[in-house]
Amino acid sequence: MKFSYRQHLLRATLFFLGVFPLSGFCQQIIKGQVTGPQDLPIPGVNIQILGTQRGTTSNFEGEYQVVARPQDILMFTYMGYAQQKIAVGEQTQINIQLQENENSLGDLVINAGYYQVKDRERTGNIAKITAEEIELQPVVSPLQALQGRMAGVEISSGTDTPGAAPTIRIRGQNSLRTEGNYPLYIIDGVPINSTPVESNTSLSFAGIDPLNTMNLSNIESIEVLKDADATAIYGSRGANGVILITTKKGEGQKGIQARLYSGISTVPNKLDLLNTQQYLKVRRQAFNNDRVEPDEFNAYDLLLWDQTRETDWQEEFLGGTANITDVNISAQGGNDRTHFRLNGAFHQQGTIYPADLQYQKITGGAHLDHRSKDEKFQLGLAINYGVDQNELLGDGVDFNTNAFTLSPNAPALYLEDGSLNWEEWGEAGLNNPLEGIFNTSTTTTHNLITSLNLSYEIAEGLEVKTNFGFTDFNSDEVVQMPQRSYNPAGMPLHRSLNTQSQRQSWIIEPQLNYQHQWGKLNLNALVGSTLQENQYDTFSVQGENYVAEALIGNLGAAESLINGVARNTQYRYQAVFARLGLDWDQKYYLNLTGRRDGSSRFAQGNRFANFGAIGAAWIFTEAAFFEENMEWLSFGKFRGSYGTTGSDQIPDYGYLDAYEATQGPGGLYPTALANPQYSWEVNKKGEIALQLGFLKDRISLGASAYRNRSSNQLVGYPLPATTGFNSVQANLAATVENRGWEVEFSSDNIRKGNFRWQTSFNISFPKNELIRYPGLEQSPYANTYREGHPLNIALLYEYTGIDPETGYYSLKDQNEDGVLNQEDQVVIQDRTREYFGGINNSLSYKGISLQFLVQFVKQEGSFTSLFNSGFPENQLQEFSSTSATDHQISQTPEASLAYSRVVESDLVIEDASFIRLKTLNLSYSLPADWISPLGINQAKFFMTGQNLWTLTDYRGMDPDTPIGGLAFSGLRTFTTGLQVNF
Amino acid sequence: MKNKKYIQGLGIIVMLLFLTSCQDWLDIEEPDHKLVSSEVFDTEETAKAAMQGIYNQLYQAGFSAGWLGSTTVLGGLSSDNLELINTTTLDLLQFQQHNLQPDNPYNETLWGSAYNMIYMVNSLLDGLENSTKITPETAQRLEGEAKFVRAFTYFYLRNLYGEVPLVLTTDYEHNATIEVSSTTAIEEQILADLVVATSQLGGSYLTGERTQINAYTAKALLARVHLYLENWELAEQYSAEVIAASGTYSLSTDLNEVFLANSQEAIWQLSPLGAGTTTTHTNEGSVFIINPILPSLSYVKLSEDLVNSMETQDLRKINWIGYHEGLGVHHAYKYKIQNATGEAAEYSMVLRLAEQYLIRSEARIRQNNLTGGIADLDQIKARAGLPLLSVSNPGISQEALLEELFIERRKELFTEWGHRWLDLKRTDRAQGALAPVSPDWEATDKKYPIPAEELLSNPNLYQNPGY
Repeated sequence: MKFSYRQHLLRATLFFLGVFPLSGFCQQIIKGQVTGPQDLPIPGVNIQILGTQRGTTSNFEGEYQVVARPQDILMFTYMGYAQQKIAVGEQTQINIQLQENENSLGDLVINAGYYQVKDRERTGNIAKITAEEIELQPVVSPLQALQGRMAGVEISSGTDTPGAAPTIRIRGQNSLRTEGNYPLYIIDGVPINSTPVESNTSLSFAGIDPLNTMNLSNIESIEVLKDADATAIYGSRGANGVILITTKKGEGQKGIQARLYSGISTVPNKLDLLNTQQYLKVRRQAFNNDRVEPDEFNAYDLLLWDQTRETDWQEEFLGGTANITDVNISAQGGNDRTHFRLNGAFHQQGTIYPADLQYQKITGGAHLDHRSKDEKFQLGLAINYGVDQNELLGDGVDFNTNAFTLSPNAPALYLEDGSLNWEEWGEAGLNNPLEGIFNTSTTTTHNLITSLNLSYEIAEGLEVKTNFGFTDFNSDEVVQMPQRSYNPAGMPLHRSLNTQSQRQSWIIEPQLNYQHQWGKLNLNALVGSTLQENQYDTFSVQGENYVAEALIGNLGAAESLINGVARNTQYRYQAVFARLGLDWDQKYYLNLTGRRDGSSRFAQGNRFANFGAIGAAWIFTEAAFFEENMEWLSFGKFRGSYGTTGSDQIPDYGYLDAYEATQGPGGLYPTALANPQYSWEVNKKGEIALQLGFLKDRISLGASAYRNRSSNQLVGYPLPATTGFNSVQANLAATVENRGWEVEFSSDNIRKGNFRWQTSFNISFPKNELIRYPGLEQSPYANTYREGHPLNIALLYEYTGIDPETGYYSLKDQNEDGVLNQEDQVVIQDRTREYFGGINNSLSYKGISLQFLVQFVKQEGSFTSLFNSGFPENQLQEFSSTSATDHQISQTPEASLAYSRVVESDLVIEDASFIRLKTLNLSYSLPADWISPLGINQAKFFMTGQNLWTLTDYRGMDPDTPIGGLAFSGLRTFTTGLQVNF
Repeated sequence: MKNKKYIQGLGIIVMLLFLTSCQDWLDIEEPDHKLVSSEVFDTEETAKAAMQGIYNQLYQAGFSAGWLGSTTVLGGLSSDNLELINTTTLDLLQFQQHNLQPDNPYNETLWGSAYNMIYMVNSLLDGLENSTKITPETAQRLEGEAKFVRAFTYFYLRNLYGEVPLVLTTDYEHNATIEVSSTTAIEEQILADLVVATSQLGGSYLTGERTQINAYTAKALLARVHLYLENWELAEQYSAEVIAASGTYSLSTDLNEVFLANSQEAIWQLSPLGAGTTTTHTNEGSVFIINPILPSLSYVKLSEDLVNSMETQDLRKINWIGYHEGLGVHHAYKYKIQNATGEAAEYSMVLRLAEQYLIRSEARIRQNNLTGGIADLDQIKARAGLPLLSVSNPGISQEALLEELFIERRKELFTEWGHRWLDLKRTDRAQGALAPVSPDWEATDKKYPIPAEELLSNPNLYQNPGY
């Protein structure tokens, strides 16, 4: 035995040196057909020669053709069917019938980025969702489609405006800098800058999602890599997790698919506010209580404005209906060696606001795969191109707040000719609250993502492979600010705000892949390297004093250009990486991954760092004891991993001792202290997990516990001002810990005849803690973070009730110094989600299928709005009568101060947990015998609903945006559509 | 054997890429919007731009910009010249009521912006020292201008805070734990820097704009520093040199022209273009003038005590003081423009000739040259349309004359760079002038506190007494 292993080792070495002669003799062509239970052909079955990378897939007729030797074994795999292995021997025709597999999860192939792994065999934590869960969702960003579907992945969209970047956290916040928490996005092997694109529009806060221009219908799968074993191969970019998006290839069924859906979105919620009569009563009460004589200045709503006028501002501003239309066409075809897929789509979404704003995107893509005749050479080309145009309101116009706070008897906002009503509001000494409403912007984005993969099997089991990628992202935004948007008294000018940004990157990743089996030992080895360059250019300028409104935005027509800013930054990255995967008898698995990274974001001497992880798994049900005694336990696996990843998400050139242009003309000045010493943030991740399958894997259960510690935090280290500045970028011995556990469960509840019911469930219990932060009190985060608490906290006063003398809200002066300030904000509210998850059910009977996802979140939020009784602002019904809340209706400065402070107290803490019917999808496929005479393979009608129903105690608009109470994100959307496959 | 080509091609790519994993790849070019410090001093053009940056930033820096957090406003509030219109701005009220807290944000900015300015100067001096590509002429000039700015900044730090750290390098690790220097050491440094400036700068304004520092600017400040140090002879000598340059400097006869850009009286001004916006009014104009229609935008007014101290016929009372009917308060009206775009008509005045007359007058009086002192003082009185001392009271005693001079300084220099506050302190008049009007006044209030943040982050600093 020993001797033979040594021989293998020698042979392996020779392989790597590339001197071992190519083996390959007596090759023959094997043909055949793959069918399913009712003798129906199955297209897209993966046929692989065991122990090699070679293989093919069956065509539309289920037929395949492959070159193999007599001693080879063919392995047939297809999702949902049992894997079969057939020895070739002397056969040249191998027809095979696959049996439906009850253990469908075991054969699920997971994309781990640089390599693929079967779900059964993986040692790391990777969550996957597939096309059918994503493609029908009427959302713009693909990440929004993930909400509630994955354990450990928290997504909040934050706003209702299409195109806004959602916040995504994979296993919590690791970095103290909020901008240092983006996961790595990889589309078809090409990394995409995940930082939201800056915008001067109503999206200025969230930024624009760089993934908007992806076509949801063109996504095959999204995998999220979470633990060290899965992410360490991404080294310095893996700390916050990795999101892999794979687009659809041309394999499988040939033909054309067309799909169209359209629908409407509305605001799902409305707050119960005072009507005019109630409102005026409260206002009069305030003057009574304060013993103030109402006059036209302080009581315009009582003396100047119509006492009977009533406007439901919520209806006026948020009562609109947004239309959604989506058209998608794809075609695929080819022969057994070459496949192609073309797709084009159009998506349009309107707005609920009383403004004519549209979001439109057009996407197109092509995918080409080719295999050489001898199956050794493979080529894959993916091109994804998208253009979107987003019409938005300029920054600062706020329908959402005005909808709730405007007095119900406030005068009309517009005059009959459509211009803003300045006069009537001006009489009250107020500006029209819609000042700026005609400031609209158009943001046009072009996004090209291409990748080319070439691979060649130079010897048995040894494959050389190179990925090339190129991306080009261009965004052009023009905010037009016409005179008529502003109060004419201020003598406004026609102005514009033009911003352009371009992100370009290319990447080359050559790799060498070796696979071999020695008896029971199976080895998968990978070495590779990466070279990447990113270029980021922005340019922005303000144009002032255009002659005419129609010319706004055309910089040539502006009388003056001011505040021009141009920035060009470059980022380069290089790495070598390796993976060694071993398994013994498909029972014991060991996975070693590592990466050495170099980044231009650090100064010479600190540019390189090593990252690595070890993962192991033991499938204990392979032991004879289980097979004999515990047949109900069909699958059981322990796995665990530990390793390090890093983060280099800091600004480029931060280490440079450099001068920049002053705002004033002709000057240069140093803008920051330079510290060439700083280096990577390091994130150490550990995980243990158990995966079980019951009753032939009809029920599967996975549980994992993790602990990630992020240290060496890159922060502004506080310095005395005598140094010239207040801080210097440095690594600080601050540590953030994310720990928790996640459970995923799925069950094939009923499978009887044509009826099938499947349920899947996931839940996550995350905990986040700032373990230590030396010098926190002097740091810029002194009033943001507390040691021993999560990062997402609010520091609040302690509410002590209504002051019996004044009737105002009162708070506790903790240090009794007579002043209420930050030192008294000692109540720490944890705003991290306590747990969250989703339950998905799929039912199908013949051509009818129903799928619905219920999302749930347990969390605390705050409600800080609409109880300012006495002021000229509307408020919630429940605060309308004094007896209900016992607080004095007043608008004295003292009352105002008390109110402004009480919204920073524990009084406003509110349970913002919710259960939401996130998506519901009902579809009906016409029977095949009706439509096949028409040349149609499939015709399906479907209906989709989003955010249809929410159960919550939260008083604000939307518990998914649980701070404040007036913001909302999830619109209620209904769409219906038709899909036809030719 | 087409496949051989694939192999070769791929093989070459793989080999190349594995081999090129060298460090050079990560040496990226600098971005267009940044210039590495050492390169700034590789060309004359960029080195001069670094000095221009200092001029621009003087108009942005809290202590010198003339806005609410400036020496002008805060010093004015601490003295008896300026008061808040509305006492709800608590952080400013602390200056007026002399109960300044160490964590006052204005105080922090005052201190921080001064040290930021010193960093810029030190960085420029470092760059010049290490550069071999700047001609000695240019290097000397830039050094002179930069050292003037450093001396100017330390003048205010020393006179507002007392003993402060003397930072002369850009090494932040050293400067983070620096101790304070004695006032003598700071004063010696100020004088040394100014001597370099006087010797290395010429007497003309190279650009024709009085925003650039020249030898006279340095002499004017030297005269003031020596006055504060009670070196009467030197104070007289330097102010006399400035006054003697009558081809360049003369008192504007029309008081409404004093603060115009490049006025005949200006020795050094800051251009509002330094802010880099389209607005071209000065911050002083913006902060002091009370808009007849929008008074709510204004924070400060002149004290009635100042206004009443001026005779009715005083042209300064007529031309330099405005009145807001609605609020019934007086405001400084030295700068006439509150809001402007287009060409800048007014610049922010830092040093002007009238002060030099007052310096020489005081220095002469102290040296018992009363006639000379009266002559200089009369220059100021004459322009204000007041009776001349040489006529009305030529036999005045030294003591009475000094008193007369300080009153004149108050009336001439109000709302400029905290002159009144520093005068009260250096002549020991603060107690007498402020104790009666400010109930919280204590002798220790003469020094502002070292900002609380500084004490937290630098263990070698100690708070000034009384805080």
